Amino acid sequence: MSETITLMGLFQTSTATADAIDELHRLNVPEPDVVVMTGIPFPEQALGRHHEWIRLPYIVLAGAFAGLLFGLFLSTVTPALYPLTVGGRSVVTGPPAAVITYVFTMMATIVSTFLGVLWEMGFPSFEPKYYSDRVTSGNLAVLVTCQEEQAAEIKEALVAHGGQQIHRPERMPL
Amino acid sequence: MSRQTLMPYEELTTEEKQQLRDLLPEEYQDRLLLAETTDEEINQAVLKPMFRSGPLFWGAVIFLLAVVLWGLFAWGYQIRWGFGVAGINRPVYWGFYIATFIFWVGISHAGTMISAVLRIFKADWRRPITRGAEAMTAFALMMAGLYPLIHLGRVWKFYWMIPYPNNRLMWPNFQSPLMWDMVAIFTYLIGSSLYLYLAMIPDMAMARDNTEGFRYRFYRLMALGWRGTESEWHKLHRALTIFSIAIIPIFLSVHSIVSWDFAVTLQPRWHNPLYAPFFIIGAVYSGLAALATILVVVRWGSKLQAFLRKEHFNALGKLVMVAGLSWLYIWFATLIVEWYGDEPIVAELLHDEFAGSMRPYFFLMMFCNLAPILALMFKRVRTTPILLLIFTLMVNVGMYTERILIVIGNLERNYLPFSWGDYRPTWVEISIVAMTFAGFTLFYILFSRVFPYVPVWEIKEGRLRYTMRRIGRLLIPTAAEIE
Repeated sequence: MSETITLMGLFQTSTATADAIDELHRLNVPEPDVVVMTGIPFPEQALGRHHEWIRLPYIVLAGAFAGLLFGLFLSTVTPALYPLTVGGRSVVTGPPAAVITYVFTMMATIVSTFLGVLWEMGFPSFEPKYYSDRVTSGNLAVLVTCQEEQAAEIKEALVAHGGQQIHRPERMPL
Repeated sequence: MSRQTLMPYEELTTEEKQQLRDLLPEEYQDRLLLAETTDEEINQAVLKPMFRSGPLFWGAVIFLLAVVLWGLFAWGYQIRWGFGVAGINRPVYWGFYIATFIFWVGISHAGTMISAVLRIFKADWRRPITRGAEAMTAFALMMAGLYPLIHLGRVWKFYWMIPYPNNRLMWPNFQSPLMWDMVAIFTYLIGSSLYLYLAMIPDMAMARDNTEGFRYRFYRLMALGWRGTESEWHKLHRALTIFSIAIIPIFLSVHSIVSWDFAVTLQPRWHNPLYAPFFIIGAVYSGLAALATILVVVRWGSKLQAFLRKEHFNALGKLVMVAGLSWLYIWFATLIVEWYGDEPIVAELLHDEFAGSMRPYFFLMMFCNLAPILALMFKRVRTTPILLLIFTLMVNVGMYTERILIVIGNLERNYLPFSWGDYRPTWVEISIVAMTFAGFTLFYILFSRVFPYVPVWEIKEGRLRYTMRRIGRLLIPTAAEIE
């Protein structure tokens, strides 16, 4: 059984990177085995990758709904549990309840967006990973996981499209 | 079409870029997003001022810290001896504290306006100034959030406002606008702080990659393990879009709720359905002006002339001018309804403002709010940092005076002439108010030294958007739809 290895190549331009990734596809490197790291956000699919489905909008909706329920609970249920009796009954009125419910809905929307995106990205994550600090200086790094016997072919493909410093990277602390 | 007009701008050679720049109309030649700098040069230009702090910086820190400590002493004095040491009285039960509270909530509005609204509308001039605006929002809200505590008097009872089952059988009264206030400001503070931090993560990674020692450890912690994979960028972009959309109604609701503190009372001139838009527009006017003031100062202090350029001051100046004209409209719309009503007490209050004891404040407010609108009509004023600084400072003097007139001016008279009164702030109130101004400035200058003040990745992304297109005889920078 051959060893699984990781190769990293650095590119100068997005066009060269996209061409290299197309070449990797032609070599039957599976999509999840290719990771591209960039210092700026490129439009989705600009580098020849698939569209990624993310759960964030659903997490946000669920958070907003939870906030709505919590706001309703605070503004309409708790006054009955801790009554401030006026005219023989506790005070629960619509417009103030609407204000509180709205604010808690928005608070939960914001907090769930933040927590949701961290969860989706798997953050915080400080264990050593494959990375090049030249990414934030303008280079595009392509990381390919492959079988050892494929390495020469992949290296050649990366070099052919302008890849530089093709090497087997070491995991570095992040 | 030549190769130059078809290729993405970032993929042209330096010579080709220079040739294109020579063909550009003059007004485009100084554009930040067309500047000839590499990513590494941008990184270093942003990081360099963070690691060099001269004697002026430390002098400012020591002075501001001294003012903050004095203010804390005054607050302690007020807690020890009670609210009697403040100038507030009957009928002026809200004085300097609440006027300053409204001022800080107002200042916080520009951050969202610049960052969220302009992000949604894809206005590229926002890029170098969004972080400064977001930080301004967060710190202004922190200062605003102190005032409900200061105004409680018995601040150690604050936890009674937190809803949790307790053996006192007491519960917060959610029918009270003051309770809405607390919840709304807390929500806005959380939202704006998270928004600020989320957009900063890629730049924390950039700082991590360019530092060592304790700085490296700090930025590494703040970057959370960011690598810049496609997946991370995609999720970050989606989250920032959701944030931008969600935070706009929050920013509108916060100042509406602050205005309802006044409008739901039966106090003459406060009980006005136009108060919410009046407060919001006033907040946007003062917030944008404060942002322009701060940008001029930070640009000078942190030597960020390469990022904060004439184009940004020009655009921001236009926005301040539009906000000023809107403020004039809503001020008049509020006034004319009150004036036509001819209610005796309202007439008395209007007379007191225009021709009575409050007249100097009224004319100061009008002069400071209107003169900048006229001045900012001139491009030369908008694009000359020192002039912009002077006129935007004037706006905030005017808007602070407006809050004094709203809170103190209107409380001195009411339906019962025998309970009319006057207000004079004491040294305690002045010290505490000065503490929040110093605290805001201190937080802000420390922030500008610890965190990348300019959003590096947003500028790099903006550069990626531009290419050149020939229209008639002109070669024009054209933005691609990539956000």
